Amino acid sequence: MIVAEQKPLDEIKGMIADAEKVLILGCGTCVTVCFAGGEKEVSILASQLRMATQMAGQDKEIREFTVQRQCEYEYNELAVEHVRDADLVVSLACGIGVQTMTEQFPEKRTVPGLNTTFLGQPTEQGVWVERCQACGDCVLELTNGLCPVARCAKSLLNGPCGGSQRGICEVYAERETPCVWHEIYERAKTLGRLDKLLEPQPAKSWKTSRDGGQRKIVREDLRL
Amino acid sequence: MNYAKKLLAQVGLEPERLEMFFLSSAEGAHFAEIATEMTERARRLGPNPLKNTKTVEPPKMEVEA
Amino acid sequence: MSDNTYLVGSNLEKALKAGYFVATGELGPPQSADRSVIEHKAGFLRGIVEAVNITDNQTAVVRMSSISVGSMLLQLGLEPTIQMTARDRNRIAIQSDLLGAYALGIRNLLCLTGDHQTFGNHPMSKNVHDMDSISMLQMVRDMRDGKKFQCGDPIKGQEPRFFLGAAANPFADPFEFRPYRLGKKAKAGASFIQTQIVFNVPKFADFMQRVVDLGFHEECYVLAGVAPIRSVGAAKYMATKVPGMEVDPEYIDRMTKATKGLPSPKEIETMDPKEAAQVKKARKEATENEGIQICVDVISECRKMPGVAGVHIMAIEWEEAVDEIVKQAKIGPKYDPARQNA
Repeated sequence: MIVAEQKPLDEIKGMIADAEKVLILGCGTCVTVCFAGGEKEVSILASQLRMATQMAGQDKEIREFTVQRQCEYEYNELAVEHVRDADLVVSLACGIGVQTMTEQFPEKRTVPGLNTTFLGQPTEQGVWVERCQACGDCVLELTNGLCPVARCAKSLLNGPCGGSQRGICEVYAERETPCVWHEIYERAKTLGRLDKLLEPQPAKSWKTSRDGGQRKIVREDLRL
Repeated sequence: MNYAKKLLAQVGLEPERLEMFFLSSAEGAHFAEIATEMTERARRLGPNPLKNTKTVEPPKMEVEA
Repeated sequence: MSDNTYLVGSNLEKALKAGYFVATGELGPPQSADRSVIEHKAGFLRGIVEAVNITDNQTAVVRMSSISVGSMLLQLGLEPTIQMTARDRNRIAIQSDLLGAYALGIRNLLCLTGDHQTFGNHPMSKNVHDMDSISMLQMVRDMRDGKKFQCGDPIKGQEPRFFLGAAANPFADPFEFRPYRLGKKAKAGASFIQTQIVFNVPKFADFMQRVVDLGFHEECYVLAGVAPIRSVGAAKYMATKVPGMEVDPEYIDRMTKATKGLPSPKEIETMDPKEAAQVKKARKEATENEGIQICVDVISECRKMPGVAGVHIMAIEWEEAVDEIVKQAKIGPKYDPARQNA
C-alpha cells in the first residue's frame, strides 16, 4: 500500500495562511489504512487548525470532507460543492490525490497535507516498512520473494556487501535494520537454491523505473 | 492521552490543560482532590487562549460511505 | 593466470605473476584541491610497494578524485591502482572516466560498491548505485576482453585494458558465504582481491582455508589487508566503532603495554616542560613502534597461509610508517631479498 504521514502542523498552517475558507479533504483508501488522511485524521487536523488560527487571532472557516478515493474523478465529483466554496483545498490524500484534484478543479489550489513516503507493508500495528520501489522489472523470483532493490540500501543485485554484520545492515545508525541480502542468502540455503546466487548478476536496466522517465500503461483491451 | 496532549502541544496549547483520571462514583474525596488540582493548574497556566473566541461548529456535511 | 602473456602488463600484475609476496600501499586524497599533499605522501611510498591504491571518496566524504590523483602519481614515478565505487557514478560516467584513465596511463583498477552516502558529509545526495562491484567488474572486463561497451556497442579503437581487482571482507556476515562471494568476483573478472584489514588472524586463516578448498586462490590473487596501529585509542576505535572490523584484544593489550616502563601521563604533569616533552616523545615512539610491530607480525602470519599472494598496507594518514613495515617484513620491490637479483 501507499504509505504517507502528515506534514508538521506548522507547515500546514503556513500553507493556509492566506486563505479564509479552507477545505480539508481526506481519502478513504491507502491513507485511511495508514492513519494519515482518513475521515478521523481530517477531523483532528481541522480541530487543530481551528484552535491554532483562533489563537492567532485569525478568522478562518475550516471545512471537512472525505471521499472514497481521491485519485478518481468520479469520487471527487461528490465533493464539488465544498471545493467550489473553498479558497484552498488541503488534501490529506497521497501525492496522486493532490494532483488529481488539481486536474479536476484547476481553478482551485490543492495543497498537500501529507508527505507521501513509500510503498510498504504494515509489519505490526503502528509500523510500516518500505517493501517495493516500483522498479517496473520485478526480480523477486531470483531472490525467492525478498526485494533487494527496495530493501537493500544500495539496491545490490550481487549482495551482501562488506557492511553486513550479524544479519544487520551497517547503513542505519540504530543497527536494527536487517540486511536483506543476509535474508536472501539464508532463504536460498533453506530452499536449496544457493547455486543461483553464485552466478554474477549483470547490472539492472533501470529503463522501466522512474529513471527512464514518467511511466504510463495503456491497456487497449480495457479502453472504452 | 499522550497523543491528545501532543496534538495540543502542536497547536500551541499547554498539554497540562488536559488530563484523564479513572475513578468510581464512590470516590468522592478523590474527585474533590482532582478538581482542586485541575483548578490549580488552570490558574497557574492562565485563561484558555480560546476562551473568548467564537465557537465554530463544523458545518454539517454528509460523509460518503 | 597460467599462460605467459600478461592481461595488462602493469608492475602489479608482473610481480604477482612472478610469484613474489607482493606489497601494495594506499593513499587517501585530501579534502581539498591541494596537489602538494599528493606530492608529499607520494614521497613516502615511492619505490617500496608495487602499486598504490587511491581511494574514491572513501566513506562518502568528498575528496580529490581517484583518477586525477592516479594521473599525478604516474607523473611522480609511482604506479597507481585507482578505485571506482558504484555509489556516485552511473555506467555512462564510469565507462567514460575509465576511457580517460587508460589514456592517462593508469592500468590497475579496484571495483567497489562503495560506502553508503549516509556515512559521509553529503547524506542528502542522490543515490546512484546503477550497478554494484560485481556488475562493474563484468562491464570493465568485457570492455577489455570483449572490446565492447556495457550496452553491447563495439569499442572502435583502443579499448581500456585494466588489471582488475575487488575487495573482500572476511569478517562480514554471512561468514560462510564470503568465500563464495570472493569466487563470484573472480568469475566476474577480478584478477586480484584486497581484503579488509586483518586484526583477527585465526578467523582470516579460516576464511583463507575455505577459499583454497574452493580453489578460488587459483582464479585470483588474494592480498591480505594490513595496517599499523597508531595509538591505543585507534585500536579501541577500530574494535568498537568500525562495522566489519574485528580486532583481537591481544593487540589492544600490546598497544596499552607498549609504554610500560615509561612515566605515565599523570607523572608527566609533575615534570618540567622540557623533560615532559621528551617523555611524551618517547611514549609516542614506543606506541608507534609497537603498532608497526603488530602489523609486521600479522604480515608474517598471513605469509604462512596458503593462497595469500601478498599484503595491502593501509597506513592511512601515516604513510611514513610503510617504509618501516616493508623493511622489517622484508617485502616489496626494495626490501624483498628475492627481488634483489631481479
